[in-house]
Amino acid sequence: MITVESLNKTYGKKDNIFQALKDISFVIPDRQTTAIIGKSGSGKSTLMHIMSGLDHPTSGTVTVNGTNLFTMKSKEMDKFRANEMSFIFQAFFVEANQTCYENVMLPLEIARVPISKRRKMVMTALKAVELESKAQNFAATLSGGQKQRLAIARAIVNKPSIVFADEPTGNLDSTTGEKVIKLLFGLNHVLGCTIVLVTHDHDLAARCQQQISLKDGEIISMHTTPVAHHTNRKVGA
Amino acid sequence: MLLIDIVRRALRSLLNAKTRTILTAFAIAVGAFALTLTLGASNGAKLYVNKIISDNFDPTSLIVASGRSVFDRTDTSTPQEYDDRYGSVTTQLGTTTQVKRLNDADIERIKGVEGVANVREATSVGLKYITRPGLRKYVATLQSYNPAQRPDILAGTIADPLKAKTIILPEAFLSSLGFSSAQDAIGKQVTLAVQKQLSQAALQSSVASALSGQPGGGAATQAPAAELKEESYTIAAVSKKPSSIQSATALYLYANADDTKALNDYTTEGTSNYHTYSFAYAQVADGANQTNMDATQKRLEKLGYGVQSIIQTQQFLTQLVTVLQGIVTAFGLIAVVASVFGIVNTMYISVLQRTREIGLMKALGMRRKDVGRLFRFEAALIGFLGGALGAAAAVGLGTALNPWIAAQLSLGGQNLLVFQADQIVLLVLALMAVATIAGLMPARKASRLNPIEALRTE
Repeated sequence: MITVESLNKTYGKKDNIFQALKDISFVIPDRQTTAIIGKSGSGKSTLMHIMSGLDHPTSGTVTVNGTNLFTMKSKEMDKFRANEMSFIFQAFFVEANQTCYENVMLPLEIARVPISKRRKMVMTALKAVELESKAQNFAATLSGGQKQRLAIARAIVNKPSIVFADEPTGNLDSTTGEKVIKLLFGLNHVLGCTIVLVTHDHDLAARCQQQISLKDGEIISMHTTPVAHHTNRKVGA
Repeated sequence: MLLIDIVRRALRSLLNAKTRTILTAFAIAVGAFALTLTLGASNGAKLYVNKIISDNFDPTSLIVASGRSVFDRTDTSTPQEYDDRYGSVTTQLGTTTQVKRLNDADIERIKGVEGVANVREATSVGLKYITRPGLRKYVATLQSYNPAQRPDILAGTIADPLKAKTIILPEAFLSSLGFSSAQDAIGKQVTLAVQKQLSQAALQSSVASALSGQPGGGAATQAPAAELKEESYTIAAVSKKPSSIQSATALYLYANADDTKALNDYTTEGTSNYHTYSFAYAQVADGANQTNMDATQKRLEKLGYGVQSIIQTQQFLTQLVTVLQGIVTAFGLIAVVASVFGIVNTMYISVLQRTREIGLMKALGMRRKDVGRLFRFEAALIGFLGGALGAAAAVGLGTALNPWIAAQLSLGGQNLLVFQADQIVLLVLALMAVATIAGLMPARKASRLNPIEALRTE
């Protein structure tokens, strides 16, 4: 469970003060898919960065599974992130000159997973995104959709409890994007990880169980759909 | 990250930028090349000097002369006081000087000094000629053989002490004296001839009789015929041609001390050089102990003698080598310093190029320390690559050229460049350390990257 309480984030000082987040509070239950919706500049990326511990709030707390992120030492924070969180980005951020296998292994290296256990974990993750046949291919040879699937494999390989997905379909055409989203929601169902999806796409957001809409750093609406999964619904339907 | 992951990632990142890596490593390689050659030359020079010393000197002996001037360059800018105990000589440069020599009283005095076990006069006889029946005559120098010397022998054996009426013949005389090989010469006879030097009195009378214009004034007033004595010697051994640094000794014949002394007495009888010696070897009791050597040297110097130990000779010989070595080392170090900037530059570029990757790794929970380590390892690997390349090139080239260099410098079978694995390993490790230090700043920059900034989509 992620609990966000009275989160404020301001940039600059005195006359140049800019409030990126204003008094944000919400709760995300375990295994839930949550969309943070907003236009660019709404503060949704800042919120995601703070929720993942990459950025510090000016005030307020984020508690993940009972642990306050901002009372942890940076060493503990890194360890926590390595074991509990992962990311999927709009621009994929897969290393083109490394093989698929090496790309997926990165989180395991960072989390210091023993070498003997890695192979099985990497192959399981690649299989989950149907890229096991490309294990030894360089990421540069993959299509955009394949790259994002590779990024998903990398995000789930260490079985994190939370996956942050920042505009995961932003660089993909709608058909490919749909495949990636289906895969992501399918994994949420199978692996039982919490997914926090940051997007400006309302249709995509509507397929999550919870929608948090941001505008100018404030929550303008919060909506929870009790339906368990929406994996079969089509984008724009 | 585990160490192996860091090393592997650093290696891969270098492989991904092969040209950049190799060019950067080349700068270090130049330094490593120069430093490896310097180390090799220094080892070679040390071995060479030690070999010359052990071939020619007894390390437990002190060389004693009547004064320091025998060892140091003679001062030719101030007049030298005349001493009628010594003869005058004209040097190769045309300067007339007096070399003060030791006499028998000096030898006895030196023998009496505490710590001196025995004294051996250095005797050198200018032979009139050396020859064999039916062959041409050749001039030569006969030296008293010092058993502490261990010349390289081509054939034969050297008894200790050298047997009476036997000589060690230098290789250079073999063909002149009609021998087909060194082995052929062993046991054969040669004739050595010495001539009596004219005494001061004999010289004066001969000049006087020449001036008076009275030829045939009786046997006593006739210009004295140079008395010549021929002696037969057996060749006990043939010595190898010495290296170029000792070329002056290339034609030295050696006989035992008594024979040499007898011949010397014969040639110098009635002259000021009779029973005088340019220097003597004082063997020190328990001379392996350096404190005994030093103490005995001090005592001899107190008596006014000029004393030189082998250590000092060694130092003198190594001095020039050290200077040359210093110059090459300096160039090597300049190359290393220059390469440091190359590494800093390369590593900064590497950090810039991989900003996103660093951001991702940090977002995934990679620790700052590990990010820094990743880049420091990368720098260290460049150092290793450069060091190994340079050292390998130097060893390869040195090994290939050694025979040629040794022949050019006639080092007498000694190699100029002697490479030692442990030194090269240390050198490469040192260069890796230098490279790591060069990588510190870029590594710090990488470890301090803000992942949010780094991951901001372009």
